Amino acid sequence: MMKNAVFLLLSGLSLASPIQAQEARDIVKQAELTAYYAGDDGRSAARMIITDNQGRKQMRQFTILRRDQVDGGAQDMMVFFSQPADVRDTVFRVVKHTDSDDDRWLYLPGLDLVKRISAGDKRTSFVGSHFFYEDVSGRNTELDDFSLLTQNDDHYLLEGKAKDPASVEFSRYEVKIDKASMLPVQIRFFDNQGRQYRQVDALKVENIDGHPTVTHSRVQDLLSGGQTEMQFRFIKYDLGLPEDIFSERSLRTPPRDWLNLRD
Amino acid sequence: MVNALLNFAIHRRKWVYWGLLLLTLAFVAQLPKIQIDTDPENMLNANNPERLFHNQAKTTFAMHDTIVVGVVNQHSIYNPQTLAALVDLTEYATGIDGVVQADLMSLANVDNITQAEPGTIRFEWMMKSAPTDLAGAKRIQAQAEKLPLLRNTLVSGDGKAAALYVPIVDKNQSYAIARDLKAHIATLASQDDWHITGLPVAEDRFGYEMFVQMGISAPLAGLTIFLLLWVFFRNVPFILPAMIVAMATVMITMGALIGMGFTVHIMSSMIAIFLMPIAVVDSVHILSEFADRHKPGQQASDTIRQVMGHLFTPMLFTSVTSTVGFLSLMLTPIPPVQVFGAFVGSGIMLAFLLTVIFVPAYLSGLSDKSLSRLLEKLPKEADSKLTPALRTLGKLAGSHAKLWLLGFAALFGLSVYGINMININDNPVRWFKSDHELRIADRVLNEHFAGTYDAFLVLSDTHNVNHKAIQAIANVAEDKQISEETRSWLRQQAEALEHNSNTLPALLLAVDDKSFELSDEYELDQLLAAQSTLEALSSQSKRFLSPSVLDYMSQLQLHLQDSGLVGKSNSLSDVVKTVNRELRSGNQTDFVLPESANGVAQTLLQYQSSHRPQDLWHFVTPDYRQSLIWLQLTSGDNQDMTGVVKLVEDYVQANPLPADMKLDWAGKAYLNVVWQQEMVAGMLDSLIGAFVMVLVMMVVLFRSLAFGILAMLPLTLTISLIYGLIGWIGKDYDMPIAVLSSLTLGLSVDFAIHFIERFRATWAEHKDWQTTLSLMFEEPARAISRNAIVIAMGFTPLLFAPLVPYITVGVFLASIMAISALVTLIMLPSLVSLLRPWLFKA
Repeated sequence: MMKNAVFLLLSGLSLASPIQAQEARDIVKQAELTAYYAGDDGRSAARMIITDNQGRKQMRQFTILRRDQVDGGAQDMMVFFSQPADVRDTVFRVVKHTDSDDDRWLYLPGLDLVKRISAGDKRTSFVGSHFFYEDVSGRNTELDDFSLLTQNDDHYLLEGKAKDPASVEFSRYEVKIDKASMLPVQIRFFDNQGRQYRQVDALKVENIDGHPTVTHSRVQDLLSGGQTEMQFRFIKYDLGLPEDIFSERSLRTPPRDWLNLRD
Repeated sequence: MVNALLNFAIHRRKWVYWGLLLLTLAFVAQLPKIQIDTDPENMLNANNPERLFHNQAKTTFAMHDTIVVGVVNQHSIYNPQTLAALVDLTEYATGIDGVVQADLMSLANVDNITQAEPGTIRFEWMMKSAPTDLAGAKRIQAQAEKLPLLRNTLVSGDGKAAALYVPIVDKNQSYAIARDLKAHIATLASQDDWHITGLPVAEDRFGYEMFVQMGISAPLAGLTIFLLLWVFFRNVPFILPAMIVAMATVMITMGALIGMGFTVHIMSSMIAIFLMPIAVVDSVHILSEFADRHKPGQQASDTIRQVMGHLFTPMLFTSVTSTVGFLSLMLTPIPPVQVFGAFVGSGIMLAFLLTVIFVPAYLSGLSDKSLSRLLEKLPKEADSKLTPALRTLGKLAGSHAKLWLLGFAALFGLSVYGINMININDNPVRWFKSDHELRIADRVLNEHFAGTYDAFLVLSDTHNVNHKAIQAIANVAEDKQISEETRSWLRQQAEALEHNSNTLPALLLAVDDKSFELSDEYELDQLLAAQSTLEALSSQSKRFLSPSVLDYMSQLQLHLQDSGLVGKSNSLSDVVKTVNRELRSGNQTDFVLPESANGVAQTLLQYQSSHRPQDLWHFVTPDYRQSLIWLQLTSGDNQDMTGVVKLVEDYVQANPLPADMKLDWAGKAYLNVVWQQEMVAGMLDSLIGAFVMVLVMMVVLFRSLAFGILAMLPLTLTISLIYGLIGWIGKDYDMPIAVLSSLTLGLSVDFAIHFIERFRATWAEHKDWQTTLSLMFEEPARAISRNAIVIAMGFTPLLFAPLVPYITVGVFLASIMAISALVTLIMLPSLVSLLRPWLFKA
């Protein structure tokens, strides 16, 4: 009894109280569910326009299939490239785990090669864009500590810091979460010198099958001046994607029926 | 004209003094606006096509001016301490403002591509944090040495050195950034040797040394001339006007140069030291004559009138010929040399004007008392050490005319032979003395690495597929079965492509989008057919994904490597092979190109999945239509670069480029070759131009073709002799050597003018050969020798300058003046005595 009273007293005095941290984590968890776990499965056609600091553009087009094994937990994901033609049928497969490293595979038709991508740094570029692999599959929220910086009627503003600072290039980031949709709408990354060097924005949010969905997002490299925009079209949720299409076989033989957008 | 000028100078002395003072002050006020320019690129015109291409390539492939930091450990850099220092410095450098963080390259911020276990591929930082033990350090060594792009570029093949490439946004910040880096290295308590170099650092040091030169050498030249004049005249007030004229000339000229917005380049930084001795020469003539002629009791203004009547024309001509010599430098296509020629040339004319106005005004203002004191103090001509020496020379010159000329002819022959042996070469890094820290860094880093000098081979696809794409779209638009709405949309797309307001990849996106809008089956089929045509065209246009094109590049690289002239070359082909190797077995047997363009594209998609996807764009443009091969050379000598250019030319001759492909050069090492070639050709134009003009002037001055040609002979021999000597001793023909030729011509013809002028006057007076000859070796020979000594000595302070080109100019100009005076004094009397029947018919 006495012990508990002292604990309560101390926590009342401390600014970053465990209760606040828990509140922040709850918010993040909820945002994660909204952003990465809408429905039981989903499909969308993505187009990425990568612009360098000279204004030169590159384009990538791919279809993403996703299936949740456990809501908020393990997830299957496959990325099928369709444009440009020279990388067509390149496939990227991820099995996301929340308690261990993700499993990743790659199929390169031009080299007739299936490769497993070794667990390691996931903060590398996703196919030359300003998005990281981690941005596409979602950064494991367990890797960071969160605190609620401020909030107003519309937004929460949280700060994230990596539990293992040596594993990431940022010193901290600020994420703004829209209260209505519970989607993260802006993330700003800061380096060790305290400079903001990277920013992710949700430029357009649409309601699809009752799920608030980001349909247009952008990553900016604030130091070099390049950026990547990603647009999603033909989004569908709860298609009933069968489990067996998320397999090694689908790397070489894509499930055409599930990839046809024109129906 | 002369009289009007003299009347003005003598009667309006105060005007002259105040005028000169105000004029000088007005131009001095411009001096603080000085802007130093140390960029060797500026040796070329701003719109020189090769320079434009170089800069375009720099932008296209995101190349920056780069500071190179090298660390050397005599045993191995692969130890925890050295690597920790490298990580620390890398981290520090990325935080410096003005550093292009994304392109900074160091072992501590590049990716390693490996096979973590069979069947897997892994991208990870090579060395995010330093290893804690020797085994970890050795692991990094093994990894780094396996990546061709790193080996001998970021780490040396011998394992004893590592480099950090720090690209900077603005090279004017290079000094501050290099200083910060140096200060940080000092805090690392590292036992290794650290070197900082790179072109921006060199240029910055160069600018600093230029100021040193101008701050020390030019005042020193002034002092030397002052001392010489004092030895000649032993009276400070008497030599004061000469010094005033020289100072005013230098300040007005430099003020004008800076005020007109020209930058001070290595050439123009020498203007002061060139003008100083040349500007006093005319004054020396006036002072000499004045001292000779003035008798006590005489009016100073009368004496000055006599003197000026006598000297005005020869002084005008010698000034004009010198001016022509310098102005002829404007015929070279090198802007800094043009500016130098224009301003020294105009400065000489200014010095002449100031001399003929200010010196008479000053002398006529001296009181009788001070004049007579002055004349008393004057050293007796007979006591001069020059006098007996010149008399002996005169006797020698007159007595063995044929022998002398035979000797001169032999010398000329030897010189021509020497000129043929001249080695044309330059290297701006060698402008620093060999013990300069930059030269040491240059030597050390080039010993360990494949080279710190860069040249770029840029290959471009010249075949444009857009017209075929337009045709494909237009064909569908003709189809009457398709709705008018769709056809009009297609026509718009074709037009946009035709007017370059759209690109083929963007058109492909639009067509793809459209295909989702169409409901009519037939229309959709037609559009999809067009889409596949466009895709094929788009793939075809990406030439640098083609394995055969990449293989051509590899073969060329191999050829360059085998020649030994190139330390190392890096290209897209190397990138593709490295990634392909790691995607397959990781063994050297798989260090090959994929078989198809799609294979190449997918390999590169993997390369772009690293921490540094942007590195790809240093080797190829995002449309895959232009590619760069980066050559590292261990020598920045133009000669070596020229050798590489020739090697590539020969290779392309024997192994034609892939169809519709062109090859161009970029890179500083190549640009140096370009301006050197322009300079060699330009200098010949300039020399010929000056020679012809001076010859014409001589013919006009002496009203005789024979005498005109005669006047040109001593300087012809002098110039041949100097350049012959350069050939014989094997000194490289570089920028400072090149500019000497035409200005030598302008300066040394003065001696001939004075000699011939005085010879003819003396002959006319005495009509006796022996008398004329011996009289010539009295006062006239003394005046010529004095002038030669003044100019030669005036340039000697350049010997104390910190940069090699200055020293070269100092040594050569001093010797040119000495040789030229000597040759004139010997050759002309010998020639005149042999050719007397023709020259003096009357």
